[in-house]
Amino acid sequence: MNGLMKGLLASSVMALLITGCGGAPKSKKETVVFWQFFPAEQIQPVLDEFAKQNPDLDVQMEQLTWQSGLEKITAATAAGNVPDLCELGSTWFPRFASQGALADWSDSTAPLATGMVLADMARVNGKAYGLPWVVGTRALFWNKDLFAKAGLDTSKAPETWPELLEASRKINALGGGVAGYGVNAGERYVLFKKFMPYGWGNGGTLLTPDGKGSAFDSRANLEALDFLLTLGKNGRVDKQDQLDEAFMQGKLGAQISGAWLFRKIPKQAPDLRYGVALVPKPATDHGTHASFAGGELLASFAKSKNPTGAWRLAKFLASREAALLLCKANQSVQPAVVGAVADAYYQSRPNEAVMVEQLASAVPTPNHPAWLDMESAIEDEVEKALYGKETAATAITNASKRIDALAKTTEPAAR
Amino acid sequence: MSVARSVQRAPKAPWLLAPLLLTMLVPFAWMLFLSVQPGAGGDLSLHALSKARFTLEHYAELLKQSAFPRYLFNSLFVATVVVGGNVLTGAMVGYALARKRFFGNRALTWGVIATLMVPKQVLMIPLYLVLAKLHLLNTYAALILPFFVDAFSIFLVRQYVMQLPHELEDAARVDGAGELRIFATIVLPLLRPALAVVAINGFLLNWNSFLFPLIFTDSDKLRTLPVGLALFAQGEHAVDWGLLMAGSTISAVPVLLAFVVFQRQIIEGITAGAEKG
Amino acid sequence: MTARAAKRRGRFEPATWILLSPWILALIVFVAYPFGFSFALSFYDYSPLNPAAAKFLGLANYAEALKDPLFWTALKNTLVFVFGTIPFTTSLALGLALGLKRAFKGRDFYRAGFFLPTVVSIVVISLVWKGLYAPEGPLSALAQSLGLVPPRWLLDPNTALASIMAMDVWAASGYYMVIFLAGLQAIPEELYEAAALEGASSWQRLRHITLPMLKPTFLFVLVVNSVRSLQIFTEVFVMTGGGPLHSTVTSVFYLYEQAFYKFRLGYASAIAYLLFSLTLLLAFVQVKWLKLEGPKS
Repeated sequence: MNGLMKGLLASSVMALLITGCGGAPKSKKETVVFWQFFPAEQIQPVLDEFAKQNPDLDVQMEQLTWQSGLEKITAATAAGNVPDLCELGSTWFPRFASQGALADWSDSTAPLATGMVLADMARVNGKAYGLPWVVGTRALFWNKDLFAKAGLDTSKAPETWPELLEASRKINALGGGVAGYGVNAGERYVLFKKFMPYGWGNGGTLLTPDGKGSAFDSRANLEALDFLLTLGKNGRVDKQDQLDEAFMQGKLGAQISGAWLFRKIPKQAPDLRYGVALVPKPATDHGTHASFAGGELLASFAKSKNPTGAWRLAKFLASREAALLLCKANQSVQPAVVGAVADAYYQSRPNEAVMVEQLASAVPTPNHPAWLDMESAIEDEVEKALYGKETAATAITNASKRIDALAKTTEPAAR
Repeated sequence: MSVARSVQRAPKAPWLLAPLLLTMLVPFAWMLFLSVQPGAGGDLSLHALSKARFTLEHYAELLKQSAFPRYLFNSLFVATVVVGGNVLTGAMVGYALARKRFFGNRALTWGVIATLMVPKQVLMIPLYLVLAKLHLLNTYAALILPFFVDAFSIFLVRQYVMQLPHELEDAARVDGAGELRIFATIVLPLLRPALAVVAINGFLLNWNSFLFPLIFTDSDKLRTLPVGLALFAQGEHAVDWGLLMAGSTISAVPVLLAFVVFQRQIIEGITAGAEKG
Repeated sequence: MTARAAKRRGRFEPATWILLSPWILALIVFVAYPFGFSFALSFYDYSPLNPAAAKFLGLANYAEALKDPLFWTALKNTLVFVFGTIPFTTSLALGLALGLKRAFKGRDFYRAGFFLPTVVSIVVISLVWKGLYAPEGPLSALAQSLGLVPPRWLLDPNTALASIMAMDVWAASGYYMVIFLAGLQAIPEELYEAAALEGASSWQRLRHITLPMLKPTFLFVLVVNSVRSLQIFTEVFVMTGGGPLHSTVTSVFYLYEQAFYKFRLGYASAIAYLLFSLTLLLAFVQVKWLKLEGPKS
């Protein structure tokens, strides 16, 4: 055998011998395995504070990537190889809860519920399976310079649909690659968040109060879709990252976007003169400034090894001080605690304060096990309308039929 | 000698290939360009060219990360060991399948090819369950063992061996050499170009492998480079283009080096002359 | 000689099994078992979040898939993708390999250059191309400079899939080029020299020596390229998310959604094995077409 092959053989053998190694060292303290998505430099100060207050617990934090993070949690759940505490997105949460994968925290969280914004995010089938940690919403971002160029009032943002439409028309007419309003193109899990605020603001809803049927087919939602389509004609239809890009380059008059821009704009477009406002309502005399509410929850698994440690950590993380510490570092999300907006941090930052203010009238998605399919149905139909494949009326009706079918046939899985 | 010379064409090829190569390289030029622009910008319009500046801040930020050398080492270690395995097992099994007549050869060959045909998205959880049962999760073994024997490599070598003439092996057999000896001393050297491709392919796939290293290991100590890079540069709603492009460029260097080193084995005339011996 | 040859044929050789055995073990544990398991799952209603509640469904998942319009859309898109890219990728790869076979100054640089797309992770390549296809991106600008109205690339249901296909040809050619380069090395120089002596043109040499001798490698490229293309996923996931209007949903993308958003791993497995059957069929056809034999004696 020549030298190369010998070398390969040797290293293979060696490797097979070493492959048993690896993994985390064992600790003498009680461990709490915690999986979450925030960058280490943002979460570590919070965890350090927890360690100070709870010297008997050793938190082993693992940062997950957004890419394929859900696959990892899923695989772990299937094998029973679960962490003690895990961060779950509000869109994933209902599935995990309704299939019995999570620990029942109804009793523990009951006393905290009133202090939480959007406490309902954690409730599935009448029980609470997690603790809301941080929340996020969407608001109107508008470009003051473009407004000025189009001869519009820059002292306040458009507050009603007609005002927004007029602004979009005028800015779109400026030409030179500038677009009025940014409508989201078909993008899974995104399009819904940009359309439904108008529906909700106009009084539209998704499901009947008992959750067993669709209430989507309504004039309110139809008007909202018509409005969106009109906006699309006075602006640009594109994916979220492109719309954000265009906004930062000063080429987009207004769009609904999220708090992640608070991190991006100072780095990429520090000179951008922009404002943030509540999502416009249908008219001055009716409707609300509604928006989408989502967030991250903390939950423990039914098979977790250290449920008490997990609860202690969760309670700490969701508390006002810890959540504020994290949100100030992260900027893309806000604490789920009631009254966070009163904190000096938000008072000194008007744009971020608007985000928190918007939370007050933000609507979470129904915690129905078939919700993701329902959301897909809405997104499919709205997309078809955007591309002119069907009328708005047909889109709303079709979506509603699909939602209704799902509401009636899906049952939560037994534990 | 003069016959060989007359067979060789004058190198006309470059002139046709040059424009093609240029189109190949444009996206990389773009990547490199983005990696040295300040900020996290994803401005991919030509407008960005007019605002072009130069900074090494992204590279610095990545290399400053204390975990970066660790991730680099892990990727290197795992990729190297798996490549060793791919080459070794690819050569052995590929040769056996190509040359040896035995009951079940065709079935095994199709079996090997068939393993390529099921998408990893459905194999992922079963494989995870296997590793969990064997208590191999969160170890280097989880990153190495499932990939040590590789169907692609086996299939490649088999096809290559099918193209090789029998004469040398037959002659050695006539001389009374044992089968393993024939394999080791005669066949293996002839397999160099194929094994070079196996090495390049194996290194490349394992170096850039993301999904399995992510789900099979939890500890930061075992993390590989692609996962580390995603942690730094890919947020929920935003990609930090500067960091991502810088990281990808750094990440591309070892693979490129592996390619340059191994492709030298794919040189012409390797089988020439051997026949005459 | 014949006696010995007869002895070799069909004889149980320990050497063979020494060569094969440890690796068969690895194949069983890490390949065959997960295979079998996922195949079994296709007959169940299985959610990874609640494995204990798995219900045996018989062939219900398969029946559902065959009746599911989105399954057929995905399959159609996948087949368009496969048959639309493979001829281009294969011919480009072969052409490049032939051109870069002989030494010339800078040849290694060319080889590396064409191989470059393979070196970078497919996620990053997809992200970069997503940007290239942006409405104000370089490709639109290029179209405009040529006096054309730029298509909407990934935003237009008529061009989205083709855009991804174009990117795939660009990204994959260099990879298969390297495989062809290796295969070309197995062809003895003497054959070319003899043919040159007989006055064969380069086209004749290509047709009568190179291509026939390259058949096993060619088959390899064809089969592997088909198998990989039938499983196209990451590019779609990153660039379009299946849209617009499901025009870029591929089979694996569809089953991924079933597995990880709907948590229906049983259904996803059924789709996977339907795809598997198709892939196997295609491979059979390709082998028959190229008339490849088993080990010669």
